[in-house]
Parts: sequence; structure tokens; C-alpha cells
Amino acid sequence: MLRNSEDAEDAVQEIFIDVWKNAARFDPPQSSETTFIAMIARRRLIDRIRYAQRRISSDSIEDMVVEPADSTTQNLQTTVEGREAFEALKTLRPEQRQVLELSIIQGLSHQEIADATGMPLGTVKTHARRGILQAREHFGLGQKGLSKEVPA
Amino acid sequence: MTENNEELMLDLLCKQAVYGLSEDETRQLRELGGDIDGDDAASLEATAAMIAMARIDANDQMPAHILAKISDSADEYFDALPSNRSRYADRSNELASAAAPKPSVMNWLGWAVAAAACVALALNVYFTRIQPSGPDQAGMAKATPTVQEKLTPPQMREMLMKTAPDVELASWTPVPKVEGFQQVSGDVVWSDQKQTGYMRFTGLPANDPSRETYQLWIFEENQGDKTPIDGGTFDVSANGEVIVPISASLKAKNPKMFAVTVEKPGGVVVSDRKKIAAIAKIET
Repeated sequence: MLRNSEDAEDAVQEIFIDVWKNAARFDPPQSSETTFIAMIARRRLIDRIRYAQRRISSDSIEDMVVEPADSTTQNLQTTVEGREAFEALKTLRPEQRQVLELSIIQGLSHQEIADATGMPLGTVKTHARRGILQAREHFGLGQKGLSKEVPA
Repeated sequence: MTENNEELMLDLLCKQAVYGLSEDETRQLRELGGDIDGDDAASLEATAAMIAMARIDANDQMPAHILAKISDSADEYFDALPSNRSRYADRSNELASAAAPKPSVMNWLGWAVAAAACVALALNVYFTRIQPSGPDQAGMAKATPTVQEKLTPPQMREMLMKTAPDVELASWTPVPKVEGFQQVSGDVVWSDQKQTGYMRFTGLPANDPSRETYQLWIFEENQGDKTPIDGGTFDVSANGEVIVPISASLKAKNPKMFAVTVEKPGGVVVSDRKKIAAIAKIET
């Protein structure tokens, strides 16, 4: 990913246009306005990151073996969704929380997380999957289709 | 569908929500009969989006120049869609439940701008990896103008010190044996409550932004020393005293130490700490 402010500004503009394009799909019972926009923003950013195929060196993240956030001592959230998310993260096993924070918040890939934490790649994938499913359950979002797994 | 395929599909849907899918994976998901925009995919994406908001500060302000660009984009976008204009405007009014029912594009934009904090913060990962930098009027960089920032960095620092009840101050000291930075002095002020701070330096050498940049790291009291918070990058283009606003990527709580390292342009996710320009410890 390009490391310049112009790129970031372009992304913001694209996100707003995506929001306008998709406004008619907003469904209040399914998500809040904030979550709706955050979803669109994440999609756009993931697309841009994939397009740029930016990869940071695994060497540069070796020290990034993040200890799971001490949820009891941090006061990070200021939105309703943020508070709910923080509570959801607290319900996860530390490894699951660590993987989700590194992936969703820090933006690392499976492989990068494996390199940084020393976890086997398969374990990282498992933690990500179980963590996101458990968080979804915590949020009470969609219990349809395939979502039958109750994570450990 | 076999149980294996069902598991594989769930794997892909989870990966789509957390990391996104490659073209091959997208094709594989479709071949399995997965609906990329279905309920499962949407609920998992919404989950990931909510988790992304766990560490964002909704009080962040959108920089004024970006706001202006988006306003222009709105005009262009909606002008190009005259037949849809009223429909979008109507929809925006539904969304902006708290807003007066003015069927205009700007009203819709107003709602979008009101949600700008969310957008900006959903950009957390993005911004932490592409910290903008460039010189400002005070001879240093890393000052992203916002709607509220009318004051100069020295004035903002002064205001913080006068208005924040919990402001902490620590003095910069050079690290022994690190050549080129032994003359560095100054201080850093920080308010947990306002999540704002300013670094003041004297003797911090000007850097060549094409070769290297300065990067701040914030060490919290309750976090391990291995995982400091990225405090943002900045450049110094002039001698004398410079004051740099702190732009932390995450909220910092009870910082115990600040450190400035020299890194490659754009900064790094994790510093190798080979070149530490200065550190400032908060005395307890």
C-alpha cells in the first residue's frame, strides 16, 4: 500500500461514494448507520490493499507479538458499537482476541500473524474463524445458513 | 452440500470478513454455492466492522480539506445522477432521523459527514500504515489540519496545558551512545482525558524525508514494552524549537514513557529500535 496521505484521502472519497451508491441498501434492523458505513469502508480498504498487494516484511513484525489487550484497563471506545465490540472481545479466548485484533484492527494477514506470534498458520486461521463466529454470536447477528458452529 | 464443503465455505466466508478474499478464493466460494452477499457473509462482515470500531475514537474530526473534497465529490456525484437525486435525498432523510427533512443533497451529505468519524476510524489500519508527513509552518510536520485546528501547535500545546486536568509532562533525554542526538532536549505533554499531546524539541536534527522520518512510540503503563502504540511520524525541517502534535494510532492510557525513533519514510509497524533519538519518562 502506498504510504502517502493522497492515497488515504482518495480512499476516504471512494468510501463516501460507495456509501452514496449503497445508501438504498441500508437496513436499520440489520445494522446501525455506523456499522453500515464501517462495513463499506472495510470493503473498500480491503480492495485497495489487495490491489496494491502490499506486504510488510515479516521481519518488521517479529516483535509485534501483541499481548492480548487488557480489556479491564483500557477505555478505548466512544461509540455504542465500539463499546459493544469491546465487550465482545472480552468474551473471547486471549488467542482469539489477539488474532482478531491483529487482523481486523492492525491489518495483518494470516501469514503475518503466524510469523509475528509463532503460532502455526492453521492455528491462526482457526482462532480467526472461531473468534469471529463467537463475536457474531455475541452481537446477535444472523444465525442463518452455515452459522451453526459454537466456538470453544 | 457435503460437510467438508460446508466447512470450507464457512472458512471462506470468515476469511472474507476478516481479510478479504483473493480472486481464486472468491471463485472457489462461488463454486461451492456460497453467496458473497448473503446473510452469512453480511453478518460476518458486520461483525468484523464492529470489532474494527472497538479501538476507534468517534471524536476524531475529518480534516477540513478532505471534507471540502467530499463536498465537491457529492456535488459531482449527485449532479451526474439527476434522475436519482430525489431518491437518494429521500433515502438520506430516512437515515438522518435527527435531521430536518430537507430534501437536498447537502442534507444527505450532512448525515454522511456526521458519520465521518466512523469512516475515519474505520480507516484506522489504513492511516496507521500511511501516516502522512510533510513540513508545516512551524518547520515540522505531522500536522493534519482539521476543522477545529485554527491555532498554531504552540498555542494548542499551551491550551492543552491550561485546560486538561490530567496533563502529564516528561522531559526528553538523549540515549547514551546514539550519535547525532546528544543535544536533544525539550518535553512532551500528554492528556489521557483528551487523548492529545505535544512534543517540544530543541536540538532534534532536521531529517531528509526521502530517506528517513521520525516516529513516536507511546509506552503504556499496563502494556508490555514490546507493544508500544504508534504515535505517528513526523519530519523536522528546521533548526530551533519545534512543537509536534501527537497523533496516536490507538488510544493511549497512562503512558509511562515516550520514545522517538528514526525510521524509514512512512514509518514502520514495529521499530527495530536501532536508532532512538530521545526518550521521555513520566516520573511517578
